[in-house]
Amino acid sequence: MKKQLLVAAVLAATAAMQARAGVMDDGDLSISGFGTLGVAKSNTDQAQFARYNQAEGVADKARIGLDTNLGLQATYKINDWLSGTAQVLTRKNTSTSFTTDLTWAFLKARINDETSVRVGRVVMPIFLISDYQNVGYANNMMRPPIEMYAQAPIENVDGVDINFQRAFGDFNFTTQAFVGTSRGKLFIPTGGGSVATYRAPAVGASASGEYGPFVVRVSHARADLNSDDITPINSLSSTLKTVGFAQLASDISLVQGKKIAFTAIGATMDWNNIVAQAEYAQRRAKEAVYIPDTNAWYAMVGYRVGKFLPYYSHASYRDAGHSVTLPGNFPKTGVLAATVANVLASAEQTSDLIGVRWDFAKSVALKVQVDRVKPGAKSGALIFAPAAGIKSNVTVVAAGLDFVF
Amino acid sequence: MKHLMSALALVATVAAAFTTPARAETVVIVSQKNPATRMFSEQASQFFLGKSNLFTPVDQPESSTIRADFYRKVADKDPAQVKALWSKLVFTGKATPPKEYAGNAEVKKAVAADPKAIGYIDKSAVDDTVKVILTLP
Repeated sequence: MKKQLLVAAVLAATAAMQARAGVMDDGDLSISGFGTLGVAKSNTDQAQFARYNQAEGVADKARIGLDTNLGLQATYKINDWLSGTAQVLTRKNTSTSFTTDLTWAFLKARINDETSVRVGRVVMPIFLISDYQNVGYANNMMRPPIEMYAQAPIENVDGVDINFQRAFGDFNFTTQAFVGTSRGKLFIPTGGGSVATYRAPAVGASASGEYGPFVVRVSHARADLNSDDITPINSLSSTLKTVGFAQLASDISLVQGKKIAFTAIGATMDWNNIVAQAEYAQRRAKEAVYIPDTNAWYAMVGYRVGKFLPYYSHASYRDAGHSVTLPGNFPKTGVLAATVANVLASAEQTSDLIGVRWDFAKSVALKVQVDRVKPGAKSGALIFAPAAGIKSNVTVVAAGLDFVF
Repeated sequence: MKHLMSALALVATVAAAFTTPARAETVVIVSQKNPATRMFSEQASQFFLGKSNLFTPVDQPESSTIRADFYRKVADKDPAQVKALWSKLVFTGKATPPKEYAGNAEVKKAVAADPKAIGYIDKSAVDDTVKVILTLP
C-alpha cells in the first residue's frame, strides 16, 4: 500500500514538474523538490545489497526501495537577509517501509554577501557529496559509494552552521563550520537486524577551493556517539562484565558515548567533457570503542558525449585497526575470543561499477548502473549474509529516473 | 507527455534553425548605478552559477535560446548541467537560483531597478537605462 502511494506521489510530482517547472518560484515562497524512481536487483539470494543504514536491500528480485526517494523543500523569504527552509525526504531507510523524515529545517541569516549563518536542523557536511547525496539529479552516480558513505551514517545536526564564500579572481574559496547534536536511528544488520537510537553531539569544518572546472575539498568532523540500545554490543558487553572483563565491557560499549573522528579529502572535475570525482577518508576512534577504524576511497571518471555521460568507478574500504586493547589475561582462543575479535574487525569491500546518465529531457535524467561488488571480510557492506560470510562477487543492476522540480 | 515534449523540442529546434542566421550578440548588463565597467565572462558566470553573491543574477526564461547560448558561452555548460549544478545548491539550502524574467525587456527593467543586479540580453535591446559590461561573441 505504502509503495503504491509513493509511486503515485512520484508520478504526480513528475507531472506537476512538467506542468509548472520554474513557476513555483513566485514571490516570497518557493517550493521545489527532487526525487528518484529506481528499480534494482542483484544476482544472489545469499545476501542483500543496501545503501548505508537501510534495513532492507535488494537480492535477486527487483525492488524499488534501494534508490527510490522523494524530497520536498520549501523556502520562505522573510526579508532581504532572513529566510526559512524546510525539507522532508521520503525513502526507505532504517525501516523496511518508506518513511518520511524532516531532513532540514533552518533559519538562514545573510550576514553579508560572503557570510551566512543557519540555525536549526542543518546538513552535516562530512564528505564531498554529503550535502546533496540524496539528490540523484545532482549526482552522476546512482548512489553515493557505500564504501565511503557508510563510514558515517549521520546526516544532519540540530545546531548552527556558518558559511563563508570569497572569490579571489577566478579562484573561489568556501568554508563551512558547524556545531550541534545529531539524533537518529542506526540499523544494526547483525542477527536478524535491529534498530538502535543514537545521540551525537558533533562539530566539524570543511574548506573547498574551486578553480574553473576543478574543486578540491577537505573536511574534518568529530562526533561523540551515544547509544544505549545496540542490542548485540550490549549483550556482548554484559557477558564480558559477567566473566570479569569490566574494562573491556565498557571499552566496546557506546552507552557512555565515544568520540569518533572523520577526515576526508575529495575532488571533482568537469573539464572538456571529462567528468571525475574522487575521495579518500579515514574514520578514527578517539576513545576505545567497538567501532573499527577504516580507510575508504573511490574514484569515478566519466566522459560526456552530448546528453550521455558514461562513467566508471572503483571504491574500497579497509580495516585500519581498532581502538580497543585486550587485557593481558583475555583468552586467545574460544568462543568469547572469536566473538570479540569479530566485533572489533572491520568489514572490507571493493566494488567496480559502470553506468550511464542520460539527460533526455528538461530536469529529468535516466541512469542505468551495474555494480560489481567484491565482499571481503565480514561480507563487506552486504547485509543478511550467511554466517560463514559471502565470498563470491555480487552483481547489482539498477535503473532510475532522477528529477527535480 | 514524452511525445508532446519531443514534438515541442523538435518544433523549437526547427524554429531555431530558421531564425538563427541574423541573431544578434548577447550582452551582459548592470544598472547604471553599478560601479562596474567591465567584466570577463568567467566573472559573470560566477554570479549565475551561485559561486558569488556580490551581484544578484537575473535570468532569461528556462527554455529560451538566449539562455542556453549564454551558459554555453560563459561557462561551457548546457542547460541540464546548469540545472544539476543549481540542484546541488538549492537542495542544500545554500542558495536560490536566479529569478527568471519573461524576456529582454523584463530583464532590462529588473536590472535597471537594482544596483546589484546583473543580467544578459540581446544587444539590440540595450538602451541607456542599463550599462553593458561584457559582450559575448
